[in-house]
Amino acid sequence: MKNMFRAAAAAAVTALALTACGGASSTDPSNVSPTGEIKAREISWLLSRPADGAVINIMKKLADDYAKDHPGFELNLITTPDRPSYIQKLETLAAANKLPELFDTDATPFAQQLAKQGKMVDAEKLLESLDIYDNYRPGALDYQRFDDGSLYMIPFQFELEFIWYNKALLEKAGVAVPTSLDDIPAMCTALRSAGITPIAIDGQDQWPLERYIAYQPFREAGPEFVQKLKKGEAKFSDPAGQKTLNWMAELGKAKCFQDGFSAQGYSDAQNQFTSGQAAMYNIGTWELPSLATDKLDPAVRNDIDFFTLPTTAGSVTAANEFVSPSGIGMAVNATTYDPLVSDFLKFALEKYPAEYAATGALSPTTDVETVVPANATPLYQKALDQADGLGSKQAMPWDTQLDPTTNGRLQQELVLLVQGNITPEQFTETMDKAIAQNAPKFFK
Amino acid sequence: MQSNRMLPNRSRTSVLVFLLPPLLLYGAAVLFPILQSLFLSFFSWNGISDMEFVGVDNYVRMFVADDIFWRAFLNALVYLAICLVLQLGGALVVASLLTSLRRGRELIKTLYLLPAVISTVAIAFLFVRIYSLEPVGLLNQLFHWMGLGSLERPWLSDVNTVLAAVSAPEGWRFTGLYMLIIYAALLAVPKELEEAAVLDGASRWTLFTKIRFPYIRPVWITTTIMATTYGLRGFDIPYLMTNGGPGQSSELLTTYMYKTAFTSTDFGYASTISVFIVVECLVAVGLILFLLKRKADA
Amino acid sequence: MITQTAPPTPPAAVVPVRPSGKRRRRRPDLFRTLSRVLIMLIVIVQVYPLAWLFLTSLRTEQDFATGDPFALPSSLTWENYARAFETGDLGRNILNSFIVTMGANILIVLLGMMAAYAIQVLGFRLSKLVRGLFLIGIIVPVQIALVPLFIDYAAVNLLDTYLSMIIPLAGFSLPMAIYLFCSFYEYIPKETYEAASLDGAGPYRIFGLITMPLSLNTVVTVVLVNSIFIWNDFIFANTFVLSEDLKTIPLGLQNYIGAMGKVDWTATFAAVCVTITPLLLVFLVLNKAMIQGLESGATKG
Repeated sequence: MKNMFRAAAAAAVTALALTACGGASSTDPSNVSPTGEIKAREISWLLSRPADGAVINIMKKLADDYAKDHPGFELNLITTPDRPSYIQKLETLAAANKLPELFDTDATPFAQQLAKQGKMVDAEKLLESLDIYDNYRPGALDYQRFDDGSLYMIPFQFELEFIWYNKALLEKAGVAVPTSLDDIPAMCTALRSAGITPIAIDGQDQWPLERYIAYQPFREAGPEFVQKLKKGEAKFSDPAGQKTLNWMAELGKAKCFQDGFSAQGYSDAQNQFTSGQAAMYNIGTWELPSLATDKLDPAVRNDIDFFTLPTTAGSVTAANEFVSPSGIGMAVNATTYDPLVSDFLKFALEKYPAEYAATGALSPTTDVETVVPANATPLYQKALDQADGLGSKQAMPWDTQLDPTTNGRLQQELVLLVQGNITPEQFTETMDKAIAQNAPKFFK
Repeated sequence: MQSNRMLPNRSRTSVLVFLLPPLLLYGAAVLFPILQSLFLSFFSWNGISDMEFVGVDNYVRMFVADDIFWRAFLNALVYLAICLVLQLGGALVVASLLTSLRRGRELIKTLYLLPAVISTVAIAFLFVRIYSLEPVGLLNQLFHWMGLGSLERPWLSDVNTVLAAVSAPEGWRFTGLYMLIIYAALLAVPKELEEAAVLDGASRWTLFTKIRFPYIRPVWITTTIMATTYGLRGFDIPYLMTNGGPGQSSELLTTYMYKTAFTSTDFGYASTISVFIVVECLVAVGLILFLLKRKADA
Repeated sequence: MITQTAPPTPPAAVVPVRPSGKRRRRRPDLFRTLSRVLIMLIVIVQVYPLAWLFLTSLRTEQDFATGDPFALPSSLTWENYARAFETGDLGRNILNSFIVTMGANILIVLLGMMAAYAIQVLGFRLSKLVRGLFLIGIIVPVQIALVPLFIDYAAVNLLDTYLSMIIPLAGFSLPMAIYLFCSFYEYIPKETYEAASLDGAGPYRIFGLITMPLSLNTVVTVVLVNSIFIWNDFIFANTFVLSEDLKTIPLGLQNYIGAMGKVDWTATFAAVCVTITPLLLVFLVLNKAMIQGLESGATKG
């Protein structure tokens, strides 16, 4: 029995050691134009996008077109729309060194480590070699970049985030569209006393609330704040940090969000807004089909409008600079990169923007015009127009910036802060400690 | 253990023929991964870079420096307690009531099992709605109608109620299963024993504590072990409903371990927590056997 | 102290001394009425969610979004079902779940009987130790096996196959099955075996001709209990399956998740209703056998 145990343990060691050693790859990630013959085969793309969404449908179609000239080619799209499940899958695949030819990821610290190990193809060089680099909106590419400015992911979307509001409800409570972020708590108090839920928020998915904590520092100290914060070079005890924490606590005190928001899901929150129960709702242009077309309940259709992220007094970023994400990006696996993958990407990326813009969405490139759908309200065009006047800075969502452990803790503590279970001081202490503990592991 | 042997003549080979295949599957799917976890718990590994041997650092961190770990541990115990009360207590009550019923037993038994077949995704969604305050959910609506307005609250956002609120659906889901087992055992209590007691003037309560319960004690132990281990494994419903929040109010060891592994990519530390969970479960089962067996002997 | 979860003394629990022999049926019995009311209440609590699920799957999207979620729907529609079938590949998902559930069940039942037979009937010196070893499997949480198993599967090329789901699902359910079979075999009288032995039957024939046929009810129990868990398993399927062709039901339900986590709930519920139907049918048909299996286990356990 003892011998068996020992043998098993030894085998366990070997199995793990083997995979750990297999980590290093010998492919050069900056070699974007591999030479050799294009041999058609099946390639896979591990992605986290809606199964029936525009990106998948278009890429499927493009893959079919490509296969006509390259018999034997097939693009296997493996989608896991639920983001936490997707991340788990991506990580297990990376740990077992089984990443497919293409895979989705945000510009997270984990992705940066993959890039550092030479597992991802340099996307900047890749796009340049395909001669389409200049087509991309600078903001769309910047969103995908790591802190050092390097680019390893290719965007397939471009979205703008607005605060949507219900004119009738604001009028009823006698409040105006806020001109400063600092106006919002008072606005909520007024809405509440008029019996209106001020802001509907999807608390279950965590990221919507995390947007709010990013706003004040972005206005107060610019996009650099979170880049420093995540490495421990800036702290929540700094003025910008304190300002956002106090503001978040005030939002909570003014009961800005619906009661019990922390357990409410995406659709429930949106329904509260679209059924005229909540006055405001912070969401991006991916919801245009439900907020700016005749799908919207006629009862509220004419009352809905949006404003962009308000500034503050002494704000270092401008009104035309706010959250404009280009969605989860696609990385190209360096170990399996060959003439076929390169040739297919060339084919697909050139044709993709026109097809994507035809669906009524904003393309990450500027060479195509978005087709406004026939059932759109005037708000649709107004929203799209915002994309043209963007400033050069953008507010990065914190969930892609912080290391995952700190991020998880932040999301949890943030709910407590807004609910009034902890004070800004307690939050500061917990989070500054968490960053000091975790950041060094991810940002060596 | 010669008494174990029911067949007088059997060869060593025949034992191996019957034992090896199950052991092989079990070893490959369960034992070997546990060993690997044990091994990993002495390393620091994020899944993609090289593994680094850190000795017992992970264990020191777990016991000394991790406040979430202890919080999750306590939560898991409360969660377990609520599940057990609902599953075993509920099962026992319903099973007892059912024996007093003359008609419709079969139907009720079947209906009772229904929640077990629904996927957890749907259950989690349903309960989020039931507990909701804005828009008002079923539970708060009920309190409102009963004039208990002071009890209305966002059950899943209130740090004081969330743990009970996520435990209840898990407890409720499998009550039917345990009820069936206990009901079957209750049916098997010899009628003569009960009738003799009734003739002696025993109350229903005495009848239960003195005759029925002692008789079903072995089954009770089995059910308790089943319910305890499933309770300690509980994962999906809290994970889907609150993801451990608000704060760490509904974080369990299993959800914490899962997040440590797949959100923080700290596979070494996650394995350390796994090892703790295995030990915890072993201790729990040992305790149950010890307590319930001793009582039986007393 | 788990034993204290026993019910409190019922209020009307005093001395219903029955005259021996015949019962008097007409006598109003407060206890009985109370218990009936209680049972009805509990049944409502148990059945309500399923009814709610079904009703919601018939609601229009608009009604679901704006109406009271707990009221009766204002109008009924089958459109959600149409959308559910259009977006997802429900048929394939059900087929895959069926294959995985069947495969795992066959392994669990066959290997479970074999192990229980070896431990309980044949007996050997270390049988207690082996039993304890299996007990660990009842106890450990399945999540701990994910990363190691993934690495092992990658090493032997088992990823993205039916087997990669079946093996861990069967492995983790095996201990409970062994436990149930063992407690059943314990009560097959020794004389049965001795008689067969005298007739010259060896361990293999006895297993095939006596033990297996006798275990039928326990088999049904084991299969049904495990099917509930396996049919709805998400975690192994999500970790080990990559291709669309192998997706089981819980993975298929993800097809209704849109951008940034927005879920098409009415379609999801329609899909849930479709996907639990096979399980429910099997359940209703085999319910009696299962209850008998549990009863025979319990009676003797």
